[in-house]
Amino acid sequence: MAFIGILAIAGIIAMAEVPRLRRKGHKKELWVFMLLLLLGTGISIAESLSVKVPNPIDGIAYLYKPINDFIQGILK
Amino acid sequence: MVRNEKISARQFGILVALYSIGTTILIVPAVLAEEAKQDAWIAALLGVGIGIVLVGLFIAVGSLIPSMSLVELMEELLGKWLGKAVSLTFIFFALVTASELLYFVGNFITTQIMPETPMQSINIIFACVVVMGVRLGIETLARSAELLFPLFVFLFLVFVIFVSPEVKVENIQPVLEADFKDLLRAAIYFISVFSLPTVVLLMVYPASVNRPNEAKKNFFSGVIIAGVTLIIMIALSILVLGVTTTQLQIYPSYSLAKKINVGNFLQRIEIVMAGMWFISIFFKLSLYFYASVTGLAQTLNVKDYRFLTLPLGVVMVALSMLVHPNTLHSFEYNRETWLSYVSTYGLFLPLLLLGVYAFRRKGRQDMATSSNETKSE
Repeated sequence: MAFIGILAIAGIIAMAEVPRLRRKGHKKELWVFMLLLLLGTGISIAESLSVKVPNPIDGIAYLYKPINDFIQGILK
Repeated sequence: MVRNEKISARQFGILVALYSIGTTILIVPAVLAEEAKQDAWIAALLGVGIGIVLVGLFIAVGSLIPSMSLVELMEELLGKWLGKAVSLTFIFFALVTASELLYFVGNFITTQIMPETPMQSINIIFACVVVMGVRLGIETLARSAELLFPLFVFLFLVFVIFVSPEVKVENIQPVLEADFKDLLRAAIYFISVFSLPTVVLLMVYPASVNRPNEAKKNFFSGVIIAGVTLIIMIALSILVLGVTTTQLQIYPSYSLAKKINVGNFLQRIEIVMAGMWFISIFFKLSLYFYASVTGLAQTLNVKDYRFLTLPLGVVMVALSMLVHPNTLHSFEYNRETWLSYVSTYGLFLPLLLLGVYAFRRKGRQDMATSSNETKSE
């Protein structure tokens, strides 16, 4: 049910921006816009269907773990 | 990039103050009380001192090429591809942190004020306001900051005056009991929330400020105003609630506002006081979001950033529901990973840029002198 709402919002956003970008003939902008909108809508729909989406913050925590341990070791 | 948007030095100072107060005012007292016990306010004092030094660093980076924002500066100094790559990670940093702040807003409201409202709806509504603000541009944001700042000051003064009768001096005694390492750890945590994120403001300063030289002074005074506000808030939390209660709360300053009791009549006005936090968090969130949107536009070399606001807003809301599955997760992230993550951009990146700039200028001078020598020969 929720993903119908998300799709509707994505549709409204696309309708609000795409004609303007197309009129100006901004090809690159149009691609970036569509890609980002797709990303946002994709994550939202996945969440609404309780699909497990990888958490970027866990990735950061994993990447920074050696430095963290080092700093915490000094400060302890 | 559209460069006709300029804010005044005064507006910039107010933005700095509201940005630095941001979420710090809500979450920092608990951790500081846990680390430094009743000396938390000394740790905050220490933190503000180091924060002022860091502002000097940010100003130095901003003054390298005053017409460029941080992202353009990276591209100029680090070269096209490396610069763009670092810029993208910076944009990712700004966007993820913006969604984390949005999570804080949602979490604060759902745990403290409206427990039965789903977090999604609060995040979406708040994100709508932020997207609207960023879409209207930095000028509009700065002017609304100028307008809302007196309200912030008024609420803060009312808060301090109404809470102060509850002060118990025994709560901060004995003074200077914490050993230096605890104090340092608390101060470093304070800096990681209070001053290191200020690097994001280099997207605004100096390129979008009409008198950058005057704005230097306002950069300092903004940080000092914010620092004093926070020190007072932390000291009050400990003076009124005591160390144990402060460290057990997620949002100690909100519990502090619940203590307000004037003549057994004026009570439970914490939601009015919460207006203060909504103002400061709104500007912090907007500036993070502004940095990621304009940064992305500048990396992609597109003229207008406005078309990016809506899709990135959707991404931000989606991420805000994703970043922290629970409060414990956010607590751990803020205590452990956040310091090194924010130092990458708040400390190492500025130092790297300064180093590269000095190195290149020296190289150019050497080249110039050697070519002069060859000419004279």
